[in-house]
Amino acid sequence: MPKIIFRLLFSFVVFVGVFILIQRSLKPDSFGEYGHYRGNSLNDNKMRTPYFKGEAKCAECHEDVYDMKSMDLHDGVRCESCHYPKIDANTDCEVGPPIVKGTIKFCAQCHGINAARLDKGVPQLVLKEHYENQNCIECHNPHAPWDLKE
Amino acid sequence: MGPKRIENKRRKFFQTSAALIGGTLLYSLIKPFEALAQPKEEEDPKIDKADLPLWGMGVDIEKCIGCGKCAEACKIENNVPIEPFYFRTWVEQYTVKKNGEVKIESPNGGIGGLKQSVPDEDIFKSFLVPKLCNHCTKAPCVQACPVGATYISPDGVVLVDETYCIGCSYCIQACPYGARFMNPVTKVADKCTFCYHRITKGLQPACVEACPTDARIFGDLRDKETDLVTFLQENPTEVLKPHLNTHCRVFYNGLSSEVR
Ligand code: HEC
Ligand code: HEC
Ligand code: HEC
Repeated sequence: MPKIIFRLLFSFVVFVGVFILIQRSLKPDSFGEYGHYRGNSLNDNKMRTPYFKGEAKCAECHEDVYDMKSMDLHDGVRCESCHYPKIDANTDCEVGPPIVKGTIKFCAQCHGINAARLDKGVPQLVLKEHYENQNCIECHNPHAPWDLKE
Repeated sequence: MGPKRIENKRRKFFQTSAALIGGTLLYSLIKPFEALAQPKEEEDPKIDKADLPLWGMGVDIEKCIGCGKCAEACKIENNVPIEPFYFRTWVEQYTVKKNGEVKIESPNGGIGGLKQSVPDEDIFKSFLVPKLCNHCTKAPCVQACPVGATYISPDGVVLVDETYCIGCSYCIQACPYGARFMNPVTKVADKCTFCYHRITKGLQPACVEACPTDARIFGDLRDKETDLVTFLQENPTEVLKPHLNTHCRVFYNGLSSEVR
């Protein structure tokens, strides 16, 4: 074999070998365990803490509100749809639920009239015509909307 | 002094290169033996896919009232920045006018409740479409990723490896549903994970939890007893952009042809 061909082949083999070795050493540990990705990443994605605790958790401290709500039409609306979840709420009953104001704007999120929402089982109101600019919770109890205050 | 200086430089260059290559070589030779030094617990990495759930979601357009609680809940649950350009899930209002025009709007992703912007007399029909990552079986974003930082998990959820993503945005361009975005805080691609940290603990995703009308149904497609399977049985469902052959796992009931 001519010397030059030998050298060429030799350096080619060395190059490929070095490439494979470097590639192997730089690859993250769990890569390729289940597919073309880092297997440990599945765990990374699982590890976060859930914020939303679920209604059962709310009922542990606020059974009265829960019972009241389940008797009325807001039964299907879960606590955390209206009250933002609190991360420390699951340990301490002293921590009250996040405060929400039962303003017109708040109730309008679901009850404000919109052509796309009609006939979906959620009553829609032209809020200006419904007792004008009074705050909704002055009459309706937000947890039991038919429990009118007057 | 000319030639000598060059020679010195060359020698230095060869020395450093040799040291670098030698070092990596040595490391890669030693690496396989690390396992011997501290024997790992033997786990079987082969997961039998048939034993795992296959997560999917049903969206009932006929029930959605566009209150935006799902989009809001998603942002809280997943620490998505509150600016109105970043959404893992959002609600669009489609309004078909009497003159045939289609108006699509989603102010702040629907958070705070969608308001009717077209007067009643101009409306031919109007409906609300919650959108999220469709968790494709043949995901274009996964194919586009150059480093394997986005992938389909064994239980059928398209996930992002935040530590491995290089932030090249290819996946964002590849997604036909616009479901991905660049997270300005972590500087990596971000997307709906079906709340992977919740569903693996037996909870429902935050958007499903927050929906007041149960317009979103989440469950295991393999388990024939779930609400999701009942929903699929009882309703004619359709996926978004079926012509792309992405084989999504988010199924819509009541989808109109105007929806893009
Ligand atoms: C329809 C939205 C809505 C839902 C659903 C809801 N709340 Fe409320 N909640 C409100 C509003 C609005 C206020 C503020 C009332 C006020 O200012 O008088 C409030 C106030 C409260 C308060 C403090 C005032 C009080 O009455 O003692 C508690 C505690 C509370 N909610 C618990 C709950 C629990 C527990 C649930 C779930 C069972 C729940 N809420 C579900 C809207 C809601
Ligand atoms: C997260 C969405 C949401 C919010 C916010 C909300 N509601 Fe409701 N509300 C509903 C749904 C859904 C129903 C229908 C329940 C059913 O019929 O099963 C309903 C039903 C009602 C009803 C009964 C109507 C009937 O069918 O007879 C009243 C009254 C009512 N809501 C008042 C309020 C008031 C007052 C507020 C503000 C404190 C409020 N709602 C906030 C979702 C909401
Ligand atoms: C002055 C007291 C008062 C205020 C303020 C008030 N409501 Fe009412 N609401 C009533 C009464 C009384 C009824 C039942 C009779 C009726 O439909 O007018 C009612 C009925 C409703 C209904 C059921 C309508 C239907 O068609 O079944 C909804 C929904 C409702 N209210 C939501 C609201 C919302 C949202 C607000 C805030 C913008 C609000 N209410 C403010 C007294 C009030």
